[in-house]
Amino acid sequence: MLMFALRRILVSIPVLIGITLILFIMLNVVPGDPIALMMKEHGSPEVIERVRAQMHLDDPLITRYLRFLWDALHGDLGTSIKLNRPVTDLILKAFPNTLMLAVCAALVSWLIGIPIGILSAVRRDTFLDRFCMGFSLLGVSMPIFWSALLLQYVFAMKLKLLPVSGFYGWRYMVLPALVLGWSSAGVISRLTRSSLLEVMRLDYIRTARAKGLGEAGVITRHALKNALIPVVTIMAIQVAGLLSGAVITEAIFSIPGVGRITVNAISSRDMPLLQGAVLFATVLVILGNLVADILYSVLDPRIRAQMKKEA
Amino acid sequence: MNQKMKLLIASALTSLAMLSPAVAENMLRVSYSEDPKTADGQMTTDSYTLPLNIFDRLVESETTAPGESALVPGLAEKWEVSEDGLTYTFHLRQGVKFHDGAVLTADDVVYTFDRMLNPATKALNTDILTFIAGAQDRLDGKADSVSGLKALDDQTVQITLAQPYAAFLALLAAPGASIYNRAFTEAAGDQFGLTPETTNGTGPFILRDYTLNDSQMLEANEDYWRGRAKVDRLLIRVVTDAETLRMLFESDEIDVFDLDYAPTQTPYFYGSDQWKDLIRSGPRVGIYYYNINQAKKPFDDPRVRKAFQMAIDRQTILDKNFYGKGALENGVMPRGLTCYAEAAPIEYNPAKAKELLAEAGYPDGVEIKLQQAANWSPRWSDMNQIIQAQIAEAGFKAQIVTTDEAAFMAARKVGETDNYTQVWSADFNDPDNFFYTFFSESGSKSRAYNNNDPEVFADIERARGMTDQAERCKLYQDLTTRIVDQDAAWVPLFSLDHSYVVQPRVKNFVVPWNGWSDMNYYNVEVE
Repeated sequence: MLMFALRRILVSIPVLIGITLILFIMLNVVPGDPIALMMKEHGSPEVIERVRAQMHLDDPLITRYLRFLWDALHGDLGTSIKLNRPVTDLILKAFPNTLMLAVCAALVSWLIGIPIGILSAVRRDTFLDRFCMGFSLLGVSMPIFWSALLLQYVFAMKLKLLPVSGFYGWRYMVLPALVLGWSSAGVISRLTRSSLLEVMRLDYIRTARAKGLGEAGVITRHALKNALIPVVTIMAIQVAGLLSGAVITEAIFSIPGVGRITVNAISSRDMPLLQGAVLFATVLVILGNLVADILYSVLDPRIRAQMKKEA
Repeated sequence: MNQKMKLLIASALTSLAMLSPAVAENMLRVSYSEDPKTADGQMTTDSYTLPLNIFDRLVESETTAPGESALVPGLAEKWEVSEDGLTYTFHLRQGVKFHDGAVLTADDVVYTFDRMLNPATKALNTDILTFIAGAQDRLDGKADSVSGLKALDDQTVQITLAQPYAAFLALLAAPGASIYNRAFTEAAGDQFGLTPETTNGTGPFILRDYTLNDSQMLEANEDYWRGRAKVDRLLIRVVTDAETLRMLFESDEIDVFDLDYAPTQTPYFYGSDQWKDLIRSGPRVGIYYYNINQAKKPFDDPRVRKAFQMAIDRQTILDKNFYGKGALENGVMPRGLTCYAEAAPIEYNPAKAKELLAEAGYPDGVEIKLQQAANWSPRWSDMNQIIQAQIAEAGFKAQIVTTDEAAFMAARKVGETDNYTQVWSADFNDPDNFFYTFFSESGSKSRAYNNNDPEVFADIERARGMTDQAERCKLYQDLTTRIVDQDAAWVPLFSLDHSYVVQPRVKNFVVPWNGWSDMNYYNVEVE
């Protein structure tokens, strides 16, 4: 297992370097000058040119890339052009907020998604099944800015139960976690349902029933264990995605997280900051996949055996 | 991984224990759509609320009436200007203290301005100080100090200009000319203005907390030389989403709602019985205009330019796109600007425009292009569409070209963009800020007017150095007639009011003279 994990981490190093190179080239092909964008309508050409030179933005592409790579290898992701703060600091300060949101949203999506999936599978083709699937479909289909607005209006404006927006305590986390969790619950519930239905058809379930086990016992003790394997994989990847920043949710609820930073970096062509944010997201996704694989092997002995062979 | 994960979770939890924005005793809560990035006015050209509240300037622009201002003494108690208009001597107020307790001296002023011009600072706001003798050499790295900056004694600063510049005092009232403390600022280095620990001014408020993309908390400076601010604390929140902002305001979590961030809410608030008496509105010293590039055919012909002016129904745009909250402009200077005078009205007359086009040799109309940048707000594309339809009546077959902003900027810099619409707001209260920007030799090209009238160029340069204000204003008014009426070199559209809605507990809220969203909250009270 350890060997497997190590191998996967080593393999991901070239991936990371490749991504920084592609990003660097892409950012330089896309037009847009960070200094001019920062100064808006009031920038004069002379000032823009001078500051560009002072910030070494006019150096050749390869020089800048190698400098970036050298610094990054030393743990220094550079300084944001627009925010004038170290990129590592910016990301690490924003990350706890994003982490909090991601964990809460993931919990919500599991708490909604898994029970609903089980319920639908057990009561397959009944009204309840259709209602449950409809509910989770609604979550996936409604754009976040719309469901957020709706929940803000009802719970904050009308009922005055929760704050509208901001990030100053657990009460502020409820609405964003609900919105984001609901939107990703759909995938979880559909996957749980189909996977459970598939498992329920297998012989060992029939055996369990034959030995006189009640339906609840069959599902919780036998069926669910196998049915949840693909769900766990999706969950790990989902959390990795949420951790790299839920851009719209963060903007609507004014959560100072990684997503906001990334969007700011793109719109202001803040290359060091964007490099850092993308690098960070890449690492998270790679880690998410790794965790998914490891969980997989913990849950499924067949895969564990396969991994041993590979390693 | 466990240890690391625990650490991360722990830091996530502690970050929740931040100050809560619940209604506190005597706290004013405002919001902006973007994070200000820094309190250092030298390093920004568009977020001035922090500099305006944390620092002071030698002179200040005080709002005297809606849309009007006067230059009043700030950190400089009084000043003299030499007869040749070159030497300014400022006498500093005695005993002014910085937030850290240090006493303001003339050396701080010299340091502050030298810092801006020091190439190592990489400052963005240097245009304010380039008139000082030796400034350019300092910027270019050819000198270690600025020859025109001198501390005569602890209380006296002498600034010598390279050439007379009538608007220099007005420039010194700009937020970018805020005064810093030498010892503190040198120690803070490039972190100055980024955190409460690295920010120190003489202003009415002290920066106490700064959470990027979330909020800044300011506290009243008890020792402020003009007397303490009316509120104890000022909370500035960053709220990007306009709908969220409105809900925050309506559920009383924000005290001031800036309609600039949500213009579509204008009819709602003006029509609401609950809110309409709580609207605070004031003119904005800024002008919406349509650029005309004379280097592009058919606009080399003054008759075509005149026809373009007459073919745009400005009142309709003002009414439809901006809910009628503003006034038509006919000159280069918008109302509220020093030297402003009513200019000859531009008539909306598509029939006459058509005749002019025919006279110019286009009896069947003419194809033209209007340019815009893709990432500009929809306000501009909406305006272009309505204008495209309006001028069609006069025979202009307009195609709207959309390019990336960077491409637009690059083309404009060399004078090659097609006609575009934009707005210009006063950085400082002087006509030079408008005339020089658009119609000086460098501006005319770099903003793609190509109005190559040597007499206009010479007059604009001459006006910069004139010391007789009445004569100077007369010159700007004559220039207006020449540029707008005779040469038809641009199309003035309108200036807009800036409206805010405030909670009933907010008193003494005055829209600043320039109509900016960035303002000083020294006089605002909450009950």
